[in-house]
Amino acid sequence: MGKMERFSFVALVAGIIFFLFADFISWALPMFVLKDIKKKSVEDLAAEAIAKNTTAWSDFNKLARYYPESFKKLCEYTEAYSGASEVIKDCKPNEKTFAKALRIGHRWYIAEGCWNCHSQMVRPVSNETLRFGIPGVSNTVSYPSEFQNELQAPVLWGTKRVGPDLIREAAVHNIGWQVAHLYNPQSTSPGSNMPGYPWFFEKDKNGNIVPNERGLALLTYVMWLGSWEVKPPKPFRVETAEK
Amino acid sequence: MAANNQELQNLVNYGLVKAHVAMGLIFFIIVALMGFLYSLQLDGIYPFPGIEFLSPGRVRMIHTAGAAYGFLVNMFTGLLYWAVPRFTGYKVLSDALGWFMFIALQAAVLITVVAILFLGMADNVEWGETPWWLDPIIVFWLLLHLLQFGAPLFKASQRGPLYVTGWYISAMLVWTPLVVFMGNLIPRFWAVGSGAGAVQSTFIHDLVGLYVTPVAWGLMYYFVPVIMKKPMWSHGLSLLGFWGLAFFYPMNGVHHFLWSPIPMFAQYSAVFATVAVEFAVTSVLINFMMTLRGSAEQLKYNVPLRYMYTGAIFYWITCFQCAFHVTLTFQKVIHFTDWVTGHAHLIMFGTFGLWVLGMAEYVWPRLFGKETMYSKGLSEGAYWLLMIGVLAMFFDLTAAGLVQGFDWIGLNPWIDSVNFSKPFWYFRSIAGIMMITGLFMYALNFYKTATAKAGLTAELREV
Repeated sequence: MGKMERFSFVALVAGIIFFLFADFISWALPMFVLKDIKKKSVEDLAAEAIAKNTTAWSDFNKLARYYPESFKKLCEYTEAYSGASEVIKDCKPNEKTFAKALRIGHRWYIAEGCWNCHSQMVRPVSNETLRFGIPGVSNTVSYPSEFQNELQAPVLWGTKRVGPDLIREAAVHNIGWQVAHLYNPQSTSPGSNMPGYPWFFEKDKNGNIVPNERGLALLTYVMWLGSWEVKPPKPFRVETAEK
Repeated sequence: MAANNQELQNLVNYGLVKAHVAMGLIFFIIVALMGFLYSLQLDGIYPFPGIEFLSPGRVRMIHTAGAAYGFLVNMFTGLLYWAVPRFTGYKVLSDALGWFMFIALQAAVLITVVAILFLGMADNVEWGETPWWLDPIIVFWLLLHLLQFGAPLFKASQRGPLYVTGWYISAMLVWTPLVVFMGNLIPRFWAVGSGAGAVQSTFIHDLVGLYVTPVAWGLMYYFVPVIMKKPMWSHGLSLLGFWGLAFFYPMNGVHHFLWSPIPMFAQYSAVFATVAVEFAVTSVLINFMMTLRGSAEQLKYNVPLRYMYTGAIFYWITCFQCAFHVTLTFQKVIHFTDWVTGHAHLIMFGTFGLWVLGMAEYVWPRLFGKETMYSKGLSEGAYWLLMIGVLAMFFDLTAAGLVQGFDWIGLNPWIDSVNFSKPFWYFRSIAGIMMITGLFMYALNFYKTATAKAGLTAELREV
């Protein structure tokens, strides 16, 4: 028994062997099981949204049309931490700007700790598909492939809900609601205890309060959540900027 | 006796213990205030609305990351500087390295605070909210930490078997850098989605289970017999407890994401391992309770010992609770609710918080050549406020969790669950005020003890 009580034995057996064994069971095997699901980059996600003409793409176009000044600033905004370090010359809603908006929106979603109060996972129990889905539009539970992308690394499932889940948000509220709610949550949800985020807004030249470049990106990201589940796209949602 | 004291003084670097414990206490108060501030947002009476760098979401990340790196790492490192040389008989690797690590740790915590509050650079790994470019530096710090405390442990085990504390500390020194590397860097650079979720859940649990728990139990195995002046009741149970924890604890993590898209075999293995851990925990608790037998009188007047046993009982309550709510059945109701928050506070504040406060209160007067703390009243008052405060918060949040869980299942409008939770959240803030008041009393006592001119002497009491 004396040998078991030495530094080298404890460090090797408990410290390394047990640890690696546990990691193998807990996450290496699950990762192996999931390895055939394609990992998508943000650019892939943007291209996919455009190809399928999802609500996320039409909402992004709407944001660009409603807030052209902020959209221009978004093209110029550079940010090393989120990997969006490029000034985009061709400042139109396209794959590049959409990917950039998603990246920056995702970065501020994390920075503001949104994930501390909002989960991004619909469980197959406790009536969650009924609560967070919209019958006939989106009522599926969370499944592995929808998380297999760069915006879910690390994953944003969260561990606590003060507010509702957001992984099906695209099917729940429209863009106008989102803008008002982000500025002052009590204006759309009386009694809510969510704080307002006025620093994602600014005054435009007419004196109206509009989302700034960060706000635009954050709204794009939130409206993207679950947009792949909104099927078929409702007629009122499929309008693009080309008109 | 004088020679013996001198020898111990040469062995232990008092300055490092003082510095780490003092900084740990300061950060404890700061993170408690941050938690209180966040709770005011839930109550709907946040005092700084619309200020970007005091946004409740950012403050909440300081509360969790600060508790990990500012409070616990500082406190534990300080206490290790006291305990490890004393039970191994060898000095730590280098005092200069110790001071470098001290400065580096405070700098890392301050950089995290600036990055999260002012620059909006956070990482969405719970308990690893430090920006990702800081994580390799933390791993490097933990490797230095391994060398620093590994040296005396290695030397001592050349001479013979290590004492129980030595096993826990040895394993922890190896685990912690691996855990921090795994949890912060693998989900960012290698894993995505459900795989990343499995890594993150393993990290959340391993930072508690493979850093905080082994240091804390290691220190308990050192301080409790020293204070009671008698050996542990059973060496066999010590062995069982350690190896049970070492084998089953690392497999627990995925229980944080039950009913998630992580493959079910990983979820089942986590549930099984968690229930197994509770048996190991119970064996440790039996060992400590049997050690107390015949000496329970000491709990009446020895505040440090009382902190330790209160924490031990809370530990067992948390683990017992865990064995049930880790099942898939319980998870249907309580996942995502305040039940989990209550559970986390009972273990982090009620157990590890009270333990380090008890240990620090034992060590602190001795660091200044005094026999006892400055004020018995402050000492007792702080204990009762902290203990009742955290217990009240635990019961309150547990009840709130059930209300929320059943309300959500019932498909009521979301705002109902917020309104129903309000009374519980108000009560939680009041419990928070009690805990923070207790911490301030405790800190005042520390300050007065350190600065008291006359040597404080302990009264002898008939037992």
